[in-house]
Amino acid sequence: MTARVLDRTLVNVAIAIAAALLLAWTVFPFLWILLTSLKSPGDIISVPPTFIFTPTLDNYSALVIGEQRGQYSSTRPDFPSFFLNSIIICSGAVLLSLAAGIPSAYALARFDFPLKGALAFTFMSFRFVPFIAFVIPLYLVYQQLGLYNTYSGLILAYQLITLPFTIWMLRSFFQEIPLEIQEAAKIDGCTWFGVLTRVILPLSLPGLAVTIILGFIFCWNAFNYPLMLAGRQTFPVTVGAIQFISYEQVLWGQMAAATLISALPQLILSLMVQKYIVRGLTMGAVR
Amino acid sequence: MTTARRRRRQEALLPYLLMTPALVLLVGILYPFSLGLYYSFTSYWLQYPKRFRFVWFDNYISLFEETLFDRALQFTLGFTVVAVILQVGLGLAIALFLHSRIPGRAVLRALMLLPLMMPPVITALMWKIMMASTNAGILNYLLSFIGLGPVNWFGSPWGAIASVLIIDTWGNLPFVALILLGALQALPTEPYEAARVDGAGPMAMLRYITLPLLAPFIILACTFRAMDSLRIFDVIYATTMGGPNDATTNLHIMAYQFAFQWYQIGKGMAQAVVLLLLVVLVSYMLMRLWNQASERTRQ
Repeated sequence: MTARVLDRTLVNVAIAIAAALLLAWTVFPFLWILLTSLKSPGDIISVPPTFIFTPTLDNYSALVIGEQRGQYSSTRPDFPSFFLNSIIICSGAVLLSLAAGIPSAYALARFDFPLKGALAFTFMSFRFVPFIAFVIPLYLVYQQLGLYNTYSGLILAYQLITLPFTIWMLRSFFQEIPLEIQEAAKIDGCTWFGVLTRVILPLSLPGLAVTIILGFIFCWNAFNYPLMLAGRQTFPVTVGAIQFISYEQVLWGQMAAATLISALPQLILSLMVQKYIVRGLTMGAVR
Repeated sequence: MTTARRRRRQEALLPYLLMTPALVLLVGILYPFSLGLYYSFTSYWLQYPKRFRFVWFDNYISLFEETLFDRALQFTLGFTVVAVILQVGLGLAIALFLHSRIPGRAVLRALMLLPLMMPPVITALMWKIMMASTNAGILNYLLSFIGLGPVNWFGSPWGAIASVLIIDTWGNLPFVALILLGALQALPTEPYEAARVDGAGPMAMLRYITLPLLAPFIILACTFRAMDSLRIFDVIYATTMGGPNDATTNLHIMAYQFAFQWYQIGKGMAQAVVLLLLVVLVSYMLMRLWNQASERTRQ
């Protein structure tokens, strides 16, 4: 009897250790970066690494104002404008994808037509193309058309990220709406437009919200398209954060602060759509 | 009669009409892509525009004479195999662990979303701070307590490979774990009840019920992870840039270097196309496996 009690305790201890390890592995990097962002340059290079120090907000003020008190200079990376760039590009990309994606998703969810399967697959396939295959020709075309280093050029390029995602996500949400409701609306005299605006869209508002939020997050995470297609005036935060690595030195403290600030919006957004994240990442394949 | 026919014809055209905006964007995407495909058959070099000519498969053939291509291909494939096995294996373990009603499961599940939703390049920068090779690096400091290290994370070839693997795993392990956890929670309960009546132990249930039922989801997770691992770019760019000594140069980084550092558009595009074909081939094979597995579970 006591042996069994001992067994249970051992199992419980093992479970607790495993849970603690998983928690540490997940959370510790965030914690350490938060600490680093609050350290002065001297504390950052202290050996051994220190957990106790006088916190300072210098790194954050350097990000916003562009200079740092003390002997360490800032690269003046214009972080606030990068943040604004991210917001503009991501909102534009999501809006454009919605405008083109809603009617397409409706067609793919509710109509039968010869090219349906092929078109749906073509859009899906962009999720898996190496970005470099698109970005090399885009870079050359953009230079010619004057779209290089412009918001509209980036919004167009981001369609590679958001459009396939939007179409497949909305299609999977639209398909969940029972056909009977749509048929009833048709009998009441609704045209296809009425069905879309009065039945499908109102009933899939949560899905629409999830698609917008996740699409925004995926745009926010984009790094390689803007790396090649944006210039200093249009850099989003992801490309901006890497500017802290210069030839002379790495501004660790500011970089830590910048990583936290760049990640903050979508960390909050992703907690809002927790239930749907797996569905979004698999483009509706796993519900 | 005629109005009915006209209406039917309009009905048939309607879906295409609805898809027009997306199709316009699709053409806008496909045009540069086909242009790039064409460039892969030319000697396009930005610095020497006069040398531009159509060279058929020369760029593709010359790849196989390039020693770097050989190494990059090996690293791409090797990294993908190791990353997929590691991430899907650990992800499955975490999913089974979280499925077994441990206390604090909801909190752990929510916290695991945070690494998953981080921009990969930001994740890489975070770990770059922690993996500083000097004594101020927290990771080496923590490793010293269990008698390991100090590891020269980005300065040595194996250190660099390990760091890319660790960073990629931190960001994507939650993806596998959450897919499989969701699948576990949706499994039917009847087979387990029947097995319990037959006196099956927990290991037998895992081996003969859970894993077979989970197989399609495991393959799906492998597919997504394989496709992302073959194309991994952001993490390598932000940490090692393919170094040291090209130890972490994969096909994606190599194509980037050819196109944007040496401006050899033709060769860079040829590498991009080879990578694309590789991704298509691997995903095709995995999707076939997935089809077989999901048919088997349906029976």
